[in-house]
Amino acid sequence: MSTAETAARSSTTGPPRSSISAGQRRRRFGRRSVTRRVPPVVWALLLVPLLVELAWVFWPAFNSFQLSFTKWSGVGVAEPVGLKNYRTLLYDPIFHTAITNNVIWIVAFGGLSVVIGLALAVALNKPRRGVGAYRSGIYLPMVFSLAVTGLFWRVLYQPDGPINAILAAIGIDTGQHQWLADPNTALAAILVAALWRQAGYIMVLYLAGLKGCDPTLEEAAAVDGASWSQRFRYIVFPQLRNVNTVIFAVTVIDSLRTFDIVWAMTRGGPYNSTQLLSTYMYQVGFTQVNLGYGSAIAVVIFLLAIAFIITYLVRATREE
Amino acid sequence: MNPAELPATTLSRRSLLLGGAALGGSFLLSGCIGGSQTPAASSAPSDTATTLTLQSSLSDPKPKAALDSIVKGYTKYPTTLNTVAIEQFRAQLPTYLTSANPPDVLTWYAGSVARDYASKGLLLDLSDMWTGDGACAKFSAPLKALSSDESGKQIFVPTSYYWWSIFYRKSAFEEWGVQPPTSWDEFMTLLDTLKGKGIAPLTNGTGSTPWMASGWFDYLDLRINGAAFHRDLLAGKHSFDSAEVRKVMDTYATLVPYFDPKGRSYSWQEAATPLVNKKAGMYLIGAFVTQAFPASAVKDVDFFSVPAIDPAIPSAEEAPTDGYFASAKSKNVTGAKDLLSYLASPAQQQAYIEGSGSSNLPTSPDVDSSKFSPLVLKGIKLLQETKEITQFFNRDSSDALQTTADTALTKFLDKPRDVAKILKDWQTAAQQVWNS
Repeated sequence: MSTAETAARSSTTGPPRSSISAGQRRRRFGRRSVTRRVPPVVWALLLVPLLVELAWVFWPAFNSFQLSFTKWSGVGVAEPVGLKNYRTLLYDPIFHTAITNNVIWIVAFGGLSVVIGLALAVALNKPRRGVGAYRSGIYLPMVFSLAVTGLFWRVLYQPDGPINAILAAIGIDTGQHQWLADPNTALAAILVAALWRQAGYIMVLYLAGLKGCDPTLEEAAAVDGASWSQRFRYIVFPQLRNVNTVIFAVTVIDSLRTFDIVWAMTRGGPYNSTQLLSTYMYQVGFTQVNLGYGSAIAVVIFLLAIAFIITYLVRATREE
Repeated sequence: MNPAELPATTLSRRSLLLGGAALGGSFLLSGCIGGSQTPAASSAPSDTATTLTLQSSLSDPKPKAALDSIVKGYTKYPTTLNTVAIEQFRAQLPTYLTSANPPDVLTWYAGSVARDYASKGLLLDLSDMWTGDGACAKFSAPLKALSSDESGKQIFVPTSYYWWSIFYRKSAFEEWGVQPPTSWDEFMTLLDTLKGKGIAPLTNGTGSTPWMASGWFDYLDLRINGAAFHRDLLAGKHSFDSAEVRKVMDTYATLVPYFDPKGRSYSWQEAATPLVNKKAGMYLIGAFVTQAFPASAVKDVDFFSVPAIDPAIPSAEEAPTDGYFASAKSKNVTGAKDLLSYLASPAQQQAYIEGSGSSNLPTSPDVDSSKFSPLVLKGIKLLQETKEITQFFNRDSSDALQTTADTALTKFLDKPRDVAKILKDWQTAAQQVWNS
């Protein structure tokens, strides 16, 4: 901000307004300055939220960084241990599972929710009878919190629950498969529940994007003999670029912060096989009250999120 | 933040923002976390508040309703009862106790968990309740020992306890023509008989309540290696990767085929349903299991203790003790003690036991036992006759060690053949808990 101010000051090349005293210099506007002189009220409106943000967001985040170099049980004085927590992380088998699961989760949850959401949006874009009911029906799961979704699906997945019953009715004998108790299927089972909720959300975002597409372009291409897939690939999809930006950001953030649905359905079990970084952090930090080690995991999550977002922003701005 | 510190006048938007900024500033200046904690125990008790908060982990419907009506009957200080789901309560407890404005009275467990918080100066010294005509003065000596911290001060008010055993339905056993076993061999034969009849001999809810897997571990260790070894094992004086523990796991492995496999997806409550419906034969669980039975079937519930395996080992039972402690930072110490005395009184203990439906035993000797069910009287007798009493895995160690047991034991129930690796990993994980 101080650089902006100096820049503004040095660029005030215009003649001083006659009635302005030296004390009021701040109010002068540079004729060509891009950053016009900012009135104090605006400064206040900028600075106060900044301070609040610093105090309530960045200061705790900074504390978390500090904590990750200590051993602390939440009571008494934190004992500095240097990089020990990070070294332990390197050899922690549960942490390795959590990282792998998080990668699987980002790819599968992000990829599938976008594919399904886009497919649904395209299918339900054209107005026809009853389409509103379908749209709201698909969006409906979004009104439930993830924790409620998790509890609801936990019942569906019970060994003698509806899912096994339906599979048996259509001739697939699962032998009362325990979807959430079997480490081979537990993560996929949670994924299905999470997708069930997320796909409707992505669909609504894409529907909004599709509304903004110019239909005459598509019609013109159709007249020129472009097939449906060509029209979608070369006419419609490029017009969705802005929506894609939003959806990418939403999806990455949603994937990395996934916590409640896993916690509600398996708590990272059976024996840590569905542990994500977030659930493992919670378990270490708040069940075992090992706040230093938990903070180290939090720092890893933070760095991953930052890396993703920055890479993406750099790419996006370069394309602009 | 303490609401009492804010001025009562309505805040304008601007002053609120400025206040926020000032707070933020003071935050920045206040230095790093955990740097300067004043030991809370040393501050003289001062009553700056006239209200009380009771934080409760009793979130099952019947105990919740019972405590609710008991608190409604307390009129001396206005008391707010917050009930939090137990898993969340467990996770948040350190935060409750260390916060600047903690709940005054909290439900929790006696033993090493309470002692651990006491050693950090977070619990109110309740010694005066245990002497003279205090509410706990007549409680038994073992209860007093259990409620004391390392320096001999009492920091806990036990109000009820219960026993673990193998529960079954009398009518179901009659239908199947079987008798409760009196020896380990009879028990194994019973398991085979029930399995032969197409009944799941044992049920257990190790899905969303994986700690239930520790029940059998504790009992087998108590029966094979004895209570002294068990306590030392949980205190880190023996290795989980030892011959003794291996012996326990080998016996546990012989039981694995008899468990209802669906239990791996169940919570303890869900796992009780097959027992109620006579689809499963027996359930090793605490007496709180009677909550899961419909009122008409509670009289049909009976239990027998896990049979002796090695006759040379003195008998031992698990009897977890529940109750309350108070925060050292309570703003209303007199009130907190008064509420604790109320909760510990014979009348309220009895009201809670009757209301909660969980077959708990009272800690006060003055509770009229004539109205107790035969089941509860049998439970009292069991605990009076046993040589050794333990609490439960997490209560005898810590919640952190419990998570290592949950991982190891649920994995073991799935893959009993991997026992060697599981025990090795368990020891590594436990070592990390003890070192941290």
